[in-house]
Amino acid sequence: MKMILAVMYREYRIRTTSLTWLFYDMFMPLTYLLIFGIGFESAFAGGVAVAGDRMGYNAFFLAGVLSMASFGIAINTAYGFFVDRDNGIFYEFLTYPMTRSEFLVGKILFNSLLALVQAAITITLGAVLLGLALRWDLIGLVAFGQVLGTAGWFFFLTTFAIRIRRNDMFNTFLNVAYFVLMFGSSMFYPVESLPRWLQAVSFVNPLTWHTDVLRYATIGAGAAEVVALEGAAFLCFLAVSFALAVQTIRNPLRA
Amino acid sequence: MNLHENSPIRVHDLVKVYRGKSRNPVKALDGLNMEVARGEIFGLLGRNGAGKTTLLRVLSTLIEPTSGTAEVCGRNVVKEPYRVRQSICAVLQENAVEVFLSVLDNLSTYGRFHSIPRRQIRERAESVMAQFGLEEYRHQKVIDLSGGLKRRVQVAKVFMVDKPVVFLDEATTGMDPVNKRATLDAIREHARQGRTILLTTHILQEAEELCDRIAIVDQGRCLVTGDLAMIKSMATRAYDINVTFERMRPEILETASRYPLLKLRSTSTTLEMSVRGSEVSTFALLDALSHVEPIVHFEVTSASLEDVFLELLGTSGKEGRAGEKS
Repeated sequence: MKMILAVMYREYRIRTTSLTWLFYDMFMPLTYLLIFGIGFESAFAGGVAVAGDRMGYNAFFLAGVLSMASFGIAINTAYGFFVDRDNGIFYEFLTYPMTRSEFLVGKILFNSLLALVQAAITITLGAVLLGLALRWDLIGLVAFGQVLGTAGWFFFLTTFAIRIRRNDMFNTFLNVAYFVLMFGSSMFYPVESLPRWLQAVSFVNPLTWHTDVLRYATIGAGAAEVVALEGAAFLCFLAVSFALAVQTIRNPLRA
Repeated sequence: MNLHENSPIRVHDLVKVYRGKSRNPVKALDGLNMEVARGEIFGLLGRNGAGKTTLLRVLSTLIEPTSGTAEVCGRNVVKEPYRVRQSICAVLQENAVEVFLSVLDNLSTYGRFHSIPRRQIRERAESVMAQFGLEEYRHQKVIDLSGGLKRRVQVAKVFMVDKPVVFLDEATTGMDPVNKRATLDAIREHARQGRTILLTTHILQEAEELCDRIAIVDQGRCLVTGDLAMIKSMATRAYDINVTFERMRPEILETASRYPLLKLRSTSTTLEMSVRGSEVSTFALLDALSHVEPIVHFEVTSASLEDVFLELLGTSGKEGRAGEKS
């Protein structure tokens, strides 16, 4: 536990060296919701339908913003491996008296905390400023979803961040992953309204599973049994990603 | 006393082969053997690509060997990497520093990772900063420091903690002479306290001054291991002899050339020669020369570590892999 706390402390010290960075971390999802969400709310005045229920775009998009925030934090944290590698500290870290799992868990615990604060700000101010009707009884599930979502994506991206040595290659990978995963998911639009081939992509996309769980937890949209299945699928994705990440970081110079 | 208490670092028949997708396999370590005694400063010398850094990476659990065994404080680096990491600290080749943190935060963070009690961290950081001349930079972010200062911060971190084994990979690279001196003094002091130090360096003078024992490594094998005197004695036993006369006469050169010299050069008053100790008696040579012309001054210097290093590596380069001589 001492080592996990040391990793978290290090992440905290680095984050707090830049107020801009901190502001971006805390308020970016809310800004997204207020600009992008409001824009689309006006454009789709009739709202959108999920599993037969109609709702305003802002309410629909709240879960999308939250999962995007998780995904974004995971990307930044995974990208941190490149920064650490460029600064030479990455390999030194791996000689510190801690296990590889402690290293990864410490990193993700701090960033999960960040995701929780981010989600609290986004949900609270989103509800106040946009008048969203939320399922406050399921707020615990939102928190759970944010933590596991951030962890799942971080572990998934860690494997690539360590295996891919070139910064430009990793950037390209991120751009493609970002584009395909986000636009091939239920983040911006209901899956039911997509063409069949894109629906198929969306159904096997962990970002859809994550977003759908958060959508259910924030506004109660979707069928509970389908969401439960998607939640279970995401847990499997997380477990596999964690195992792969630990395996990769165990021998980082071979990867 | 357990074996590992006498020799905290033990390497036996260590092989590491890098297999890349786009290149042929590279054998970085090829059956390397060595032991480092407790409290010893052990230097690994060799040209670039000799396998020094690979050995440190194996010992610090960054990579696994292909075969053979390596133990640190009695723990196998493959089977018990976590235990090994609990007994080491390492300065690797890169400038491994937290560039976004201040000097003080770098030291504090490092202290936390090595479980130094919180109330002692500040105290130790102050002492290390004083030792390495970092006090005036304490609140400066490392990203704003020069390369040499960054390196100083990196090396200073290691002296925050009391791990029994320290790995230093070219630790003084990029440091000015004053800080290099401070670093060397700190290394010596910590070895005196019983820490075992394994270092690599390209600066042979530094190795000569600092190390209790040295291994010259080439193509993944130890060409020679021993203390400085022993290593020097394994060379061609060459001595440089400079003899100064009032004037240089042709007979002096004639007399000198009767001896099997490795080098013979003359200036207007001085004769510069290199001789192999086993082949030429220095006294006999000086005696012969003094009969030709009175000697004003003479100097005899033994081979430096650099001479031995170049000779050994030159031989191994020409003749392929030499057998281990240790």
